[in-house]
Amino acid sequence: MSFRRPAAIIFAAGLVVIVAGTVGLLLTRHSTPAMRPVAAGVGALPAPTGPIVAPPQSAAPRPVAAPVSLTIPLIGVTTRLIKLGLTSDGSLQVPPTTDTAVAGWYTGSPRPGATGSAIIVGHIDSVNGPGVFFRLSELRKGDQVYVRRADGTFVKFLVTTVQQYLKDQFPTQAVYGPTPDAELRLITCGGAFDSVTRHYLSNIVVYATEAS
Amino acid sequence: MRFTRTIRRITMLLAAAALLLGVPAAVAAHASAAATGTGWIRLAHFSPNTPAVDVYLYSFGNSNAEIVLHHVTYGTVSPYESVSVGDYSVAMRSAGASATSQPVLSTSLTVKADRAYTVAGMGPESGLRLVVLDDQLTPPSGKSLVRVVQASLKQQAVKFTCSCGGTLASKASLGSVTSYAPIPPGTWTMAAIGSTAKTSLPVSLVAGTVHTEVVLDGSNGLEILNLEDAAGAGLPPAGGVTTGFGGTAGHGPGSPLPWAALIAAGSLLAAGGGLRLRRHGLGRQLRSGV
Repeated sequence: MSFRRPAAIIFAAGLVVIVAGTVGLLLTRHSTPAMRPVAAGVGALPAPTGPIVAPPQSAAPRPVAAPVSLTIPLIGVTTRLIKLGLTSDGSLQVPPTTDTAVAGWYTGSPRPGATGSAIIVGHIDSVNGPGVFFRLSELRKGDQVYVRRADGTFVKFLVTTVQQYLKDQFPTQAVYGPTPDAELRLITCGGAFDSVTRHYLSNIVVYATEAS
Repeated sequence: MRFTRTIRRITMLLAAAALLLGVPAAVAAHASAAATGTGWIRLAHFSPNTPAVDVYLYSFGNSNAEIVLHHVTYGTVSPYESVSVGDYSVAMRSAGASATSQPVLSTSLTVKADRAYTVAGMGPESGLRLVVLDDQLTPPSGKSLVRVVQASLKQQAVKFTCSCGGTLASKASLGSVTSYAPIPPGTWTMAAIGSTAKTSLPVSLVAGTVHTEVVLDGSNGLEILNLEDAAGAGLPPAGGVTTGFGGTAGHGPGSPLPWAALIAAGSLLAAGGGLRLRRHGLGRQLRSGV
């Protein structure tokens, strides 16, 4: 008797562990789909109001004020802009991991509205959910992007194209290179997510030019 | 012995399961075509004694103008317009003339991808011509590029200097255009010196920018018009950006290994308990049977 009860308990415990293991196995056999943005236009914001300042027809270069906020009505983005520099390896700084709801302007690039490509970067997501540029890839040619500047003026851009590039084939010249007109580049991550390195394999780049 | 075999079987099963269920390496994303197939054109009036004109830009074979600039006066330069690559013609008509009237002057040009062009009316009215200038976009690293357009009729030979320590043009005649010269960044005094008039202008050159300095006849002597032809990031970043942490990325099924190990442990436990149960049960039967 004294030997029998522990043996039965061990046997029963074994069965319970087997059942628990089987249930666990079955529950984790499905994969989780990527979170997808809602349909375009949902959650759209009204265009901001304020003086829109474009360069005059005859044009000696005129200084423009630094950018302070970004609005993309179609995809519901409205955010202040922080200032970004370069990291020690020469790549672009990104907004802090603790604040994926904010976008940043690379201070080494032209100010939005000045000649050249102004570069604005935002996260597609955090470890938990969507970031400020989660819906960036929804933008299409002709969509509007507004940047408000420190002097209260707005500059309005129109999207010309949206591209996706593998990070190891990133076209630095096309994205960061000089232009003769006032342009804007909005950059975030996209494509497949490498769960080993915890990084996306591609970048999404939105090209826009100042509305004339 | 039997236990060893069981354990070996379990191990092999686990290994097979790991192979079958292992998440395949992430599939490389498809990079889309980079070529956008556009270039830029701007239009300018640099002919001192030519009255205002209307300037038309036509895509080749299309009689509807793509761009029309009305009443363009001497010294006026349009912003750059982005246009699709291809052949274009530019026509100048007197200001207010009918769009279908015979142009005073016309020229053609081919726009290549990611290239910029200035189409300018140059020279005196008697010898007015439309000139297509190839505009540079990319200066040498850490430098600025500057060229000079001489558009003064009153001063026939103009010397153009930069306080950075150089003469950009020595005896430039009306309608002449220098090639671009690399100049270090800084705020420099640009000076245009004719035989009877001269002027100067402080110009800030930022690394990565391209400028054209146009010498014009002003209402009183010479003037310098400082144009920015192109600008880029003075220090372009290297490569792409790391802007995501996967919170919205899909992920494959979780690893089955911990659960398989749990099942194996449970099996061992149950088997051990079961064996002890049988052994004790059997002993009692034998004892009571005798």
